[in-house]
Amino acid sequence: MSPEGLAFLALGAVAVGTALAALLVRELVHTIIWIATFFVALAGIYFLLEASFLGILQLGVYAGAVTILLLFGIMVTRRRIFSREAATGLSLHSLAIALLVVVLLAAVASDLAGGSNHTTIHSYAVVDLSTTLFGPYGGWLLLLGLVMLSALSGAIYLVREGRE
Amino acid sequence: MSDPISTASFLGLSGALLGVGLFGILTRRNFILLLISIEIAINAAVLNFVYFAAFSSTAASGLNGQAAAVVLVGLAATEIAVGLAIVLALSRLRGSINVAEATSLRL
Amino acid sequence: MVDSTLLLRFLPEFAILGAGLLVLLAERMGAQRRELFGGLAIAGMALALLFVAADAGLAGLGSLRGVGASSIDAPVATGALYAFSSLGLLFQGFFLASALLVAVALLSRPSREPGSPVAYALLLFATLGMLLVALAADLVFLLLALEVTAISSYLLVGYTRRDPRGLEAAMKFYIIGALSASLSFFGASLLYGAYGTTSLTVIGHSWPTGAGSLASAGYAFLLVGLGFEVTAVPFHMWAVDVYDGAPTEVSAFLAGGTKKVGLFAFFLLFLVPLLLVGTLSTPAGSARESIQLALALLAVLTMTLGNLLALLQKEMKRLLAYSSISQAGYMLLGLAVGTGPALTGASLQILAHVFLKTGAFLVVAAVAALGVGPLVADWKGLGLRRPYLSAAFALMLLGLAGIPLTVGFVSKFVLFSAAIQAEGWFLWLAIAGLLNSALSVFYYARILKTMYVDHVDPGAPPAPSPSEPSLAFDGLGWGRAGAIGLATVVIVALGIYPQPVLSALGAAVQHFLTLGV
Repeated sequence: MSPEGLAFLALGAVAVGTALAALLVRELVHTIIWIATFFVALAGIYFLLEASFLGILQLGVYAGAVTILLLFGIMVTRRRIFSREAATGLSLHSLAIALLVVVLLAAVASDLAGGSNHTTIHSYAVVDLSTTLFGPYGGWLLLLGLVMLSALSGAIYLVREGRE
Repeated sequence: MSDPISTASFLGLSGALLGVGLFGILTRRNFILLLISIEIAINAAVLNFVYFAAFSSTAASGLNGQAAAVVLVGLAATEIAVGLAIVLALSRLRGSINVAEATSLRL
Repeated sequence: MVDSTLLLRFLPEFAILGAGLLVLLAERMGAQRRELFGGLAIAGMALALLFVAADAGLAGLGSLRGVGASSIDAPVATGALYAFSSLGLLFQGFFLASALLVAVALLSRPSREPGSPVAYALLLFATLGMLLVALAADLVFLLLALEVTAISSYLLVGYTRRDPRGLEAAMKFYIIGALSASLSFFGASLLYGAYGTTSLTVIGHSWPTGAGSLASAGYAFLLVGLGFEVTAVPFHMWAVDVYDGAPTEVSAFLAGGTKKVGLFAFFLLFLVPLLLVGTLSTPAGSARESIQLALALLAVLTMTLGNLLALLQKEMKRLLAYSSISQAGYMLLGLAVGTGPALTGASLQILAHVFLKTGAFLVVAAVAALGVGPLVADWKGLGLRRPYLSAAFALMLLGLAGIPLTVGFVSKFVLFSAAIQAEGWFLWLAIAGLLNSALSVFYYARILKTMYVDHVDPGAPPAPSPSEPSLAFDGLGWGRAGAIGLATVVIVALGIYPQPVLSALGAAVQHFLTLGV
């Protein structure tokens, strides 16, 4: 097995394991640690796929900003900061739905398994990515800006101390 | 044995992540855990874009996928911010961020 | 890249965006009057509607035209993110009509209520997202535009931030919306993996000939993700709670406006592959059959379950929410049949629903403001006490049931006759639709009976007085009265004389179909 293959297997296992751990541990603060590890593992996979810009983005936005944001959220709603997850038995049908997804994709995966396997990983220069992002796909960025505009105007209003 | 970074084994990973995210969205009752589940599910999609971009046939199509991944990262972060705003406003009213407790609406 | 033609092409969108930014700016500068914010929003929407009408080629508006006639319904260039189709322009008109009704009705909310600027700004941003969906030619562009609408509407549902019910509804809506978005984007990533592009045209053209399992899974995820958006059964559970908990004007916008956006996204996603397969006599025909069957199944389930659950409801808002779910089934039915007339019928059904459902929810808002309780039984005797309001509501219910002389009849007639003409098993779809319409008459008739026939118990306390008796029109206020009146006029006008709209829609659908092939 190639070194890349081994690394991929290891990082993938870490990603799935930490994602599950984040949802199943009882202390919310531990959740944050697991989810941060999850984001770092994904960043590792991006580096492995030679998408270094996305890897850095993943580290900055997720492992950095989103993690802090979540921690902050826990602190501000602090009445229950160290509270445990309320007992929520596993509802059977939701578990079934989640499993259905995995089965569906496993079927697709086994269908593809016979096909040709990729060998070379393409890497793209950041310059090319940015000219693509700001050129032909500039519309996406504008839309993302609109999403952020409405999110910002509404979210600020919701959390601002109002004079009412 | 096939190369582990084949499309099939890769889909296994992203599908498992999506499954974990969906499982969390459907069963967790703590809002912070819900937000985390949503992030995991969206990250599965980002992972797909990055993977398919890395093995795409032409540079143009690869860049198309990477651009989509970048935009999706931004979108997911925005969603988290909105979710936190809603939960902060609600916790100010109720003092609880458990979805089940906070919901007087019937299913 | 940025040139004047780009600005010209997006005149309606810029009008909406400008109005939204002005509302926020006015709020920052200390303005407090609801009328100012509402006026700005209504002006922006009216302007946008004018630009859309001009772009669609309405006679007499040629000088306002921003999009050249040659670029409408032109073949989509590869890699283009957006394209102008006459059907898309008509849908932009529908979306704007729904937003306008809601913006006018919002004027009658209590004038001291905080958050009116934010409500108007979010309403405008949601509308902007809807307008952009109608132009999408790229999968990621489409999903991002849907997301603009979605994020604005979560926050819109919770804008009365001191009302826990509104915030809870917002939270529920947010969770479901995020779930739907993650499934849709996952589907999009699989389609990208299959064809190496996010262009809707290329994906649509590739699927029939190369229907790999990767792409089929991608379509399945998109079907589920967007199924949440259009409240198709079994992805409907959230809708009733959200419509129930949201401020009623916002429910009107969700049922009459944002849900239709998801339906248009269905059109964009599934029509091209469906049509193309139709022209091939290859194994891909079975793939077409499977998509059509999936859509037909969704449609029948949605209609039937929505209607059955509506029968059981005791609260007016919840009843209307379930009826709104069932109506989505009729629209999906048109898509499943997939012929020109069927799509015309579905589009007309969407237009009808914009006025019928928005109008009905606005009447509920008005009645609630008069101090009447949330139960259907609380509406007892309303027909005598509020004759005009009750007449308008009765008309809307008749329209939703599909009684002649309303636009609801015309749209169902066109839709079902198209399904019958399409032959094959589509006949059964038409029969299912007809049976469902008959079923829905029961609960609409029950409301009418409560309003007009049931006697008020003589010993009962007198009807409560309006909470804000100072408002014009018997406590309704100008805004609500205007919006309800406008909806009523359109419902009757289109019911009696549907030809112009019908032919415009028919031509637009034909362009849309030939463009796909």
